[in-house]
Amino acid sequence: MPITILAPRPSRPINPPSDPRAAMPDSDSDSDSDSDSGGGGGGVGLDPTGDIPMFAAAARRSKHALLDTTTASHSDIVTPGEVITDDPQWMRGHGTFVSAATAAIVSSVAGTVARTNKLLSVRPLRARYTPEVGDLVVGRIVEVQAKRWRVDVGGTQLAALPLSAINLPGGILRKRTETDELQIRTFFAEGDLLIAEVQQLFGDGGAVLHTRSLKYGKLRNGVFVAVSGMGGGGGVVRSRRQVWTMDAANGAGQMDVVLGVNGYVWISKHVETPEGLVAENKGAGITNMEESVSTMMYSSQNDRIGVETMREIARLRGVVTALVENGLRVDEDMVVRGYHEAVEMAMMSAEGADDIYLGGERGRQLAAALTGV
Amino acid sequence: MASTQHVLLSPAELAYLHASLSLTPPIRPDGRTRTQFRPLVAETGILPGANGSARICFADGTEAIVGVKAEVERTQSRHDDETVYVEGAANNGGDGDAETKEDSRTGDSSWAEMTVEIPGLRDDDSGTAFLAAMLSEALLADGEFARRLWINRRFHWKLYLDIILISPPLSYPLPLLSLTTHLALLSTRLPRLQSEGDEDPFFDDDWAAAPHLFPRPTTTTPTHRPPITLLVMAVGDSIIFDPSKEELAVADVALAVSVSGDRSEPGEGGAGRKLRLLSIRTIDPPSRLTPPGVANAANSAYGAGNGAPQKMAEARTAEAEAAAEEGVWRAPRGGAKRAVLGALVQKVLEAGGVVDEVLDALEGVDLG
Repeated sequence: MPITILAPRPSRPINPPSDPRAAMPDSDSDSDSDSDSGGGGGGVGLDPTGDIPMFAAAARRSKHALLDTTTASHSDIVTPGEVITDDPQWMRGHGTFVSAATAAIVSSVAGTVARTNKLLSVRPLRARYTPEVGDLVVGRIVEVQAKRWRVDVGGTQLAALPLSAINLPGGILRKRTETDELQIRTFFAEGDLLIAEVQQLFGDGGAVLHTRSLKYGKLRNGVFVAVSGMGGGGGVVRSRRQVWTMDAANGAGQMDVVLGVNGYVWISKHVETPEGLVAENKGAGITNMEESVSTMMYSSQNDRIGVETMREIARLRGVVTALVENGLRVDEDMVVRGYHEAVEMAMMSAEGADDIYLGGERGRQLAAALTGV
Repeated sequence: MASTQHVLLSPAELAYLHASLSLTPPIRPDGRTRTQFRPLVAETGILPGANGSARICFADGTEAIVGVKAEVERTQSRHDDETVYVEGAANNGGDGDAETKEDSRTGDSSWAEMTVEIPGLRDDDSGTAFLAAMLSEALLADGEFARRLWINRRFHWKLYLDIILISPPLSYPLPLLSLTTHLALLSTRLPRLQSEGDEDPFFDDDWAAAPHLFPRPTTTTPTHRPPITLLVMAVGDSIIFDPSKEELAVADVALAVSVSGDRSEPGEGGAGRKLRLLSIRTIDPPSRLTPPGVANAANSAYGAGNGAPQKMAEARTAEAEAAAEEGVWRAPRGGAKRAVLGALVQKVLEAGGVVDEVLDALEGVDLG
């Protein structure tokens, strides 16, 4: 069937109550009393997913009552400029500001209200990536300047990658010369994808990246997929491991997965670099190895990739898109489980193991199998 | 001819995409089969103030709305038409048979006006204008459509089709806009005419009695359907329908093929449907503008240029063009091969093929 046309469905609920306690009427009601009982009030206080469910109708009725009507089982959305509360006991957090005239806490973004003890913040429904030092990001070069590149990392501003922050070929300790400046496009040109780390932040939120590690550099041998940043519960979340190598099914070898914190994902064939090169160099010193690896870093030629590997890479890409479309978080655990589930589903399907399509209804089945609903 | 939007992809990505799409069967990045469309959500009658409307949303988030508005307009008559008009009326009164009546219905392509709006692009942008021209060309190609707008010899309907893409153009929006327009036209209703002959038109104000512009399929008459325009591309020997943005970026050829599927005899499925080719346009794929990849052997950052005497840039380019190395992206050069073009059109017009299935699926949409 080349085309599937579905009837429109109501949109899925934003931030469904992931915590069963949130649906219980009494868990919230005791922690929002005036005496701060957040610590003992059913453990809601420090729960980052403990959104405050609210009703817009309640907001219109009474500003004070807004935070007391927490017995509702679904969360509510605030829009920019909407007064969340004028009760002075609350502190403003991200996504809110205090209006000068009334001293009320007003939302500055569209999103759901989150509360940590007495701190009110609004989690935006859709947000661009805000860089933090140490984040592992996947970026795309959009501009080449005299001594630096401008990199699209999905944030509000382009990140900068200075020529001094990359590993130059021919040894890690080589001095940067004018020749390197003239040859800047041989390292990264417009459109190139790279994996880097946020090294420094400017006051206005702009980021400076670096690739001074053998793990970082130009990406090849795979496919790119951009999933929207955190919003509506889906997207890539910061986790312990953002990069891993996993075994592919159907004898396709191994795949590398890079989940950039900025929501850019790279899935590629696993290439054995360091070990293979060390063997090649017959135990040459560490500098020698770094030298050979860093020359590999700027290659834009793909290795030979088998059909099975390409198929599994496409399947994994389908898993990531299906996770995002169904509002699930994208991290190592979910992606690996989703991949195994997808392989199982393909075995069951009529077309056999070669069937890698995971869009539409298939994606929904996959998400249902993962969440156990 | 108009170029699709520029895409920024690295040479390594392009080489990978090209390699995976050239396989038989091709492996598409989103796992679809070569004829499979992105799943879509469709509904009609969403704009209460319009004569017909439709909304289609692709799973990747691109979404389009089409509204059809009809106005009664006085037909511009040439001054030498006057005598013919009187004679014709006399003839009609005399014969009174259906055949001559049918013949007297003429149409003009200016009776339908199509505007396309794409966020981020100007109204007079060449891409937007090209899309509008391509869609209206398919609609008006056979003259059959304009004849439907005929009221009488002095008046006609003027149809305004407003096509709005509400999402940013994540992929080349032609198939989306075409399918949405098709649905909107199917749901279009015009008020029932109560006046007779060439007098000033007078309409029934009962909207429930208003007939559809394209009547529902019946058992007796052949049914006409608005055309659909499909985007087809070829990479190597693979023919791929409904390409996404990344896929289009490595296309050797991309064609916009407009087809109408009129039913000569009613029946379920593709049986009895006569596919007619209305127009073909080549779409300039962005692949030709992509930067070429650099083979490791020629990459100075890879260590190739170190020490060895620097060759002249021209000599290096010539060398790179001569040797097609595996895994290195090279933008397609030259025109499309005739055999490939033929195969593309053949594939679209295949009986019981993609077009039949798409038209069947569109017929299944609830028209309210």
